[in-house]
Amino acid sequence: MTGQPLPEPAPSPTATDAGIPSTQRAARPRWRETLGLLARNPAAAVSGALLLLIVLVAVFDEALAPTGPNEISVEDRLQPPSLEHPFGTDDLGRDIFSRVILGAAVSLRVGFLAVAVALVIGSLIGLLAGFYGRWVDDVLMRIMDMLFAFPAVLLAIAVLAVRGPGSGNTALAIGIVYIPVFARVTRASVLGVREEVYVRASRSVGASDLRLLTRHVLPNAAPPIIVQTSISLAFAVLAEAALSFLGLGTQPPNPSWGLMLAEGRGFIDIAWWLAFFPGMAIFLTVLCFNLLGDGLRDVLDPRQRTLMAGGAR
Amino acid sequence: MSDVLVSARGLEVHFPVRSVGLRRTGGGVLRAVDGVDLDIHRGETVGLVGESGCGKSTLGNALLRLVPPTGGRITFDGSDVTALDRRGLKEMRRRAGMVFQDPFASLDPRRTVAQTVAEPLEVHKLRSGRRERAARVGELLEMVGLDPAVASRYPHEFSGGQRQRVGIARALAGEPDFLVCDEAIASLDVSVQAQVLNLLRRLQRQLGLTLLFISHDLSAVRHLSDRIAVMYLGRVVEVGPAATVASDPQMPYTQALLSAVPVPHPARERARQRIVLRGDVPSPSAVPSGCRFRTRCPYVFEPCPDVDPALQPAGAPGQLAACHLHGVVGIPVADDTPEGVTTTPTS
Repeated sequence: MTGQPLPEPAPSPTATDAGIPSTQRAARPRWRETLGLLARNPAAAVSGALLLLIVLVAVFDEALAPTGPNEISVEDRLQPPSLEHPFGTDDLGRDIFSRVILGAAVSLRVGFLAVAVALVIGSLIGLLAGFYGRWVDDVLMRIMDMLFAFPAVLLAIAVLAVRGPGSGNTALAIGIVYIPVFARVTRASVLGVREEVYVRASRSVGASDLRLLTRHVLPNAAPPIIVQTSISLAFAVLAEAALSFLGLGTQPPNPSWGLMLAEGRGFIDIAWWLAFFPGMAIFLTVLCFNLLGDGLRDVLDPRQRTLMAGGAR
Repeated sequence: MSDVLVSARGLEVHFPVRSVGLRRTGGGVLRAVDGVDLDIHRGETVGLVGESGCGKSTLGNALLRLVPPTGGRITFDGSDVTALDRRGLKEMRRRAGMVFQDPFASLDPRRTVAQTVAEPLEVHKLRSGRRERAARVGELLEMVGLDPAVASRYPHEFSGGQRQRVGIARALAGEPDFLVCDEAIASLDVSVQAQVLNLLRRLQRQLGLTLLFISHDLSAVRHLSDRIAVMYLGRVVEVGPAATVASDPQMPYTQALLSAVPVPHPARERARQRIVLRGDVPSPSAVPSGCRFRTRCPYVFEPCPDVDPALQPAGAPGQLAACHLHGVVGIPVADDTPEGVTTTPTS
């Protein structure tokens, strides 16, 4: 305790007072501390680094790819991996290494875009439905149920049938399919947080609904949403593959991991590398998203944060 | 001290009880607060006692409109709380703070102590600028006996007593006139209870606060309060100066309640006569007709099932009790029409 004069001696601090060093420790900005803690989780750190690499590859794809995506070389058809073609070549003699690099941009863009659409719209709907309840909840969630009732692929096909194929519309279609998932996850989480005493406490000092939602309800309801986001990124990449396989997503000859996987399926018994490398790319990306999502969820929780920081100090 | 700051007249908070199943209609009504009359004067501390489930907390919440009242009137400093618009309600909530029961649940785990205590300042734009707000937060923390340096810490790093101090600092940040302490010491260790109790008393004197201290702890209430209000099944059944209510209760329920308090004196404790009530508290969704205490009252007589007793002067000056033993006043129970006022005493 500092020696500030008080009208009456401050009641003696309880036992745990001693455990709290009275130094200010908010010197480092919040996000730097978050990054620092994230780096302590090996799985999250490696995943983050790998994802950064994948994103960089996707951004600088044209510069990195040894050949163009659609350069056909008839005499090099179905070559196994070699020094010249690290990932081998496909049935038209196209370099799979180059196509995997160029496909990263397509797959990631669709994945991010789709999840962004689902996250923003779905979470907003779930937030409002969960917080206000009553008829707002009834109306919004019944609409979500209607969306949910359609089989995912059928709904995506319907959207693409209306809007026409292409990677932008694929992202939109996948995003729409995932809106009810985010709405449900968010609503369930909000329903729990809404009844917390600290929300009522905040209301008791005059906070507006907007303030309650943005400062208290959303941050405390976020962990399941973060996990859902990382899982959905993975599923969106796979869904793009499925739609491309059906001929509705990325249009050949443009490369996307899903489309390459689908095209390679026919050659799986004579040329495994056609499907293997794009498959590995999807697998690694999805795994990294999940591990990073888990790490992020832990780091964003102040209670976990203290445990982690305490363990290292 | 005759200046009334907060007043409730015939206040009702009824909750619909949903029947299980798809249909949301049907089911009964839970009368958590059922016709409460209570005046709280400026600068005084009113202790509100009663057993669990009698509607004490609901009443406290309703006074700040944290639970919407379904009937009756609440006035705060002369203005009708039930009719306030958004802006009026916000200002009212600045002038009336609340300290909650569970200090582990009432602080947002994701916000630092500084963020929590500064919330009223931000909401009501009381201090402009980051630095001035931080200074005010430090001031408030000191006021409740915490080191201002803990401002950047998270609630989970504190003990229950310290958290409750943070909760009190938040409630005081808006410079309120009125503070509702809803079982504010109930979930603390006994040793810490006394500290928080003394803190509340000190703050009350220092800041000239008007306090509604809700508790089931009769000794704490007697220690802190100027006046005591006793609640039973959603109604204030006795109210009066703390000393006289505690020493000479006029309502049989209060007598029974007080007889349950142990006396810290061996000889007197042995001589203490306990009044043990029959049966359980009736469900607040099936309140008995007439006097709601008649199902357990040892003195029950003819008018009790037929006339709902109103608060009337009884015992010492300023003491009111809702009991027919002091004269039959109240609202007769009619078979069909529940309304039908005959005599209503001035309280």
